[in-house]
Amino acid sequence: MKLSLRWLKEYVDIPTDDPLEIEGVFASLGHEVEGFEVLEVPFSKVTVGRVVEIEKHPNADRLRFCRVDLGDGDLHEIVCGAWNFETGDIVAVSVPGAVLAGGLEVGVRTIRGVTSHGMICSAAELGLGDDHSGIMVLDPDTPLGADFAGFVPFPDVVYDVSITPNRPDAMSVIGLAREFAAYYRTEVRMPESKPVTIDRPSPVEVTIEDTKGCPRYVGWQVDGVKIAPSPIWMQQRLRASEVRPINNVVDITNYVLLELGQPLHGFDLDEVADHKIVVRRARTGETLKTLDGVDRELDVLDLMICDGRGIVAFAGIMGGEESEVTDSTSRVLIEAANFHPPSVMFSSKRHGLRTEASARFERGVDPNLPALAAGRAAHLMVELAGGEALADVRDCYPSVIEPWTVDLDVGEVERILGVPFDRDAVVDLLSRFRMEVEGDSPLRVTVPTNRPDLTRPADLIEEIARLHGYDKFPETLPSGPAGGLSTSQVRDRRVREIMVGLGMHEAQTMTFLGRSELDALALPDDDPRRAAIRVRNPLREEEAYLRTTLLPNLLKAVQYNVSHGLSHVSLFEVGKVFLSAPDPDDPRVPDQPIHLAFIAVGDTGARGLHSTPRATDVYTSTGIVQALFDRLGLQVRIRQAAPAGFHPGRAAEVLLAEEVIGTIGELHPAVGRAFGIEGRVAAGELMLAPLLADDDWWQLEAPSTYPRVEFDLAFVLEERTAASAVVQAIQAAAGDWLESVTVFDEFRGESIGEGRKSLALRLVFRAPDHTLTNEEVAPHRETIISAVAEVTGGQLRGV
Amino acid sequence: MEAFDQLLAQAPARIDLAGDLDALATLEAELVGKKSLIAETRRGLGRLPAEERPVVGARVHEVLRSLQELLDHRRSVLERVAEDRLLEQDRVDVSLGGYEPSIGMHHILTQTVDEVVDIFTGLGYRVASGPEVELAWYNFDALNTPPTHPSRLESDTLYVEYGDPSDEMLLRTHTSPMQARYMEQNDPPVYVVVPGRTFRADALDPTHSPVFYQIEGLAVDENITFGDLKGTLAHFAREFFGSERKIRLMPHFFPFTEPSAEMHMSCYACDGSGCRVCSGSGWIELIGCGMVDPNVLDAVGYDSSKLSGFAFGMGAERMAMVRHGINHIKHFYENDIRVLRQFT
Ligand SMILES: [Zn+2]
Repeated sequence: MKLSLRWLKEYVDIPTDDPLEIEGVFASLGHEVEGFEVLEVPFSKVTVGRVVEIEKHPNADRLRFCRVDLGDGDLHEIVCGAWNFETGDIVAVSVPGAVLAGGLEVGVRTIRGVTSHGMICSAAELGLGDDHSGIMVLDPDTPLGADFAGFVPFPDVVYDVSITPNRPDAMSVIGLAREFAAYYRTEVRMPESKPVTIDRPSPVEVTIEDTKGCPRYVGWQVDGVKIAPSPIWMQQRLRASEVRPINNVVDITNYVLLELGQPLHGFDLDEVADHKIVVRRARTGETLKTLDGVDRELDVLDLMICDGRGIVAFAGIMGGEESEVTDSTSRVLIEAANFHPPSVMFSSKRHGLRTEASARFERGVDPNLPALAAGRAAHLMVELAGGEALADVRDCYPSVIEPWTVDLDVGEVERILGVPFDRDAVVDLLSRFRMEVEGDSPLRVTVPTNRPDLTRPADLIEEIARLHGYDKFPETLPSGPAGGLSTSQVRDRRVREIMVGLGMHEAQTMTFLGRSELDALALPDDDPRRAAIRVRNPLREEEAYLRTTLLPNLLKAVQYNVSHGLSHVSLFEVGKVFLSAPDPDDPRVPDQPIHLAFIAVGDTGARGLHSTPRATDVYTSTGIVQALFDRLGLQVRIRQAAPAGFHPGRAAEVLLAEEVIGTIGELHPAVGRAFGIEGRVAAGELMLAPLLADDDWWQLEAPSTYPRVEFDLAFVLEERTAASAVVQAIQAAAGDWLESVTVFDEFRGESIGEGRKSLALRLVFRAPDHTLTNEEVAPHRETIISAVAEVTGGQLRGV
Repeated sequence: MEAFDQLLAQAPARIDLAGDLDALATLEAELVGKKSLIAETRRGLGRLPAEERPVVGARVHEVLRSLQELLDHRRSVLERVAEDRLLEQDRVDVSLGGYEPSIGMHHILTQTVDEVVDIFTGLGYRVASGPEVELAWYNFDALNTPPTHPSRLESDTLYVEYGDPSDEMLLRTHTSPMQARYMEQNDPPVYVVVPGRTFRADALDPTHSPVFYQIEGLAVDENITFGDLKGTLAHFAREFFGSERKIRLMPHFFPFTEPSAEMHMSCYACDGSGCRVCSGSGWIELIGCGMVDPNVLDAVGYDSSKLSGFAFGMGAERMAMVRHGINHIKHFYENDIRVLRQFT
């Protein structure tokens, strides 16, 4: 909330004028200052004068020629366009050399042939309001010749204070004054809230039908008010708090709301049918036109203020048009009520209506405040609007809410805060916050009813810490047990390390997807990735689903980079996806496994003036996965397959211990195009958990120091026979001495025949304990050739 | 024999005159080759009288060794000269740049999370993670946040359609639900940090994103105090932002801590005198924290009369933004490689 420092100082002595120091006090009490504005006197050289003579301007019908006494013995001749003053009125006069609000310098001017030595000022010209309609007529007691700067509410500082939601009591000038009083060990000066009253019976009847929704309703009648603008000081304070001044009666209700924190409403009593006030829930089909001019359909849970005819106001939120205070109002009914926070919150949310009143009721207003606040408003209406406050006040308060007690063990304070506090210290701190403390162990603490946030010892301990000063506590460290990363957490980091080492940038993409992105992946209708969980209140339809795969958003990130001119983009991401099956560990929530996905496009490999990068393709994917698993010490198997979304002839399943844990390859060109990417797109998506599982420590295999024997074999195979099948057949048949087998050539041609291919492999043999001879290896060669023929049908190509 | 003396006397100058390896080879043939005086003398040794043979033989051997030494030395000089010439021809402009190996970068958010986590594992914390789609009960109720609390409104929290509608399901708005989950699954003492993604119904702007990272910390033990919270965060600030950092705690409000505080750190850029980084205040708001509310402990069956604890939550983006001058949260999620590359 925004508030004027001058206003605050009216209730509490603050021993400094330094705005920064005061900001510091706000902050140390937990009321963060978002900012403050220093307001200087908006004018200079403006003097209090008395209008002595008024004549018509000889040459202009709309202007008048005045002589004004400024207490200096001269009569100052001034031409004036306003007609709202008479001879004898006290006014504010700017003499030549004066500077008005907005920087206009006043000089001697000739207006239609008559010389004017200054101006009689309006409120707007002096920066004291918006009123241009006439000049400002001052209080007749204002001393003649005085500098008018002494009679305006400037200079001032306006603080924008952020009040935390647990402190409805602090959403008022008095509430903050109490905080300062506690801080500076002083007392708050309460404003006058007992109006001079007259004894006349009030015809008002108040009935509360729903005492849960409305525990209390005070109605105070003030007769004979004269509607006029409110005084400058009040307007200035309202404006500082960003409340627009309207007229004295409405301004008073707003002023008291800001001053005491009690929302008030002023009814034109003559518009309240039968002088009856009924507080009840709305009925189906009822409507209300609120002060903002909107017709609202009501819910049976909306709490309403009604008169003898029907609904007149939205309880705790906003009044209705029919009974509002207007220029012709003379009898006012001041409503000061207490409403149940959830009820106000419900209606405020349902109707999208947030007001100063609802903001306070939602958080909880002191039920013992209404009578005081109504009295304060009545007093101000008597003083400032010439009203007569009736002594016959309605106060419906069926069950009075008393201050409550909290038992606090003094030892608890030290246990939580870590610093010893003796009884005296605790009593001192709590009583400065207006709590009464009795007893010894435990202390019996009585909490004022404007502090609904204080119901438990922990709440009191916070108050003790807050007032003692958070900065006074030492910095200590607990002595906890040993901790650290788990094995799988270490492996999780290693996976990312490896991916980065393989030349990929780590990405972080959004968790949300749109339907169209799942469509663009070309998944079949029954693919589980299509069963994405929907966000009930998405920010945009494009973000209405939770990702079931990392690929779409990663593709978008790739496209983003390609569109910015990068020739090679390779990204990976480790993140959660959201499946519709229940989480195996907690079936109440959906399964949220972590996936590892990557995408590479463009050329790949080292780049430089003299190096030639290679185009990305399916082997980029298989190479990445093979390297990743090798470095993790895991035996991966890559099995040709045609998973959805991938190129039917350039994709594979990734198997770990014979379980499929992901798919890799080249994306289907249509998928790439759907995301705006041309060319081959290497991609893969794997489950992360199987990569993190604990395994046995690897054991050293000392390399053989004996020379090797190597030879090449070439087989003619059916086109669809996988190279890996040949390699596996060789590995199975070769015996222990086989050190490695590598495919070094793939060949197709007429000499072999259509639908066939030839693979050339290099085999290396080495024994750990002696030098192998060709004679020793020869039998293995024969075994291998027949094994390959048996398993794959491959025939040895002519040697 | 005199011929040998003459040969030896002239040889050094002649050998030094050999200007390249070819000239040296010709000279070598002349001096010690098959047709040289030495070779001839050697071949004629057998015809010499027996008593002269050893004398002449020794002399031949000696001359041959001296000449060979001179020749070898000259050869190594000429070889070096020849190689120097070759290398000179092999010269390139190294300023043309190298073959750039493709090396990726860790995302700044993972880097930040890992670095923060490492500071706390160094203090003996463990690391946990939890569901991002979470029960409203863990996200709010278990954290002392009643159904009427405004943070539960759809304008603040993203809800998801899943399972039994009576179990309200949402995208967790903070990592704090893991407080309750972790305490349910583990006996005290608890020292744990929980990094992870969190979500709010906020459109992307410079400081808000619907997706962001938080790192939660929770310590529950006997005799954990407010001073311990302060000391722990001060340690963190000094580790992460430099040993000169000071912190202060300001009273604040969170439903699940009591007392609650906001941790401010002295500005690393101006050391507290006020600058653009800290908006002139000398302090940077960094971390929400507080002593665990007894209701939170009671809700998971911990005895709040014996145990106490503190909790804190920090935004990974915020940490990175403060440290690296990142002025818009979009840079974390756009995955522009020109930005990713800077995350060293
Ligand atoms: Zn700074």
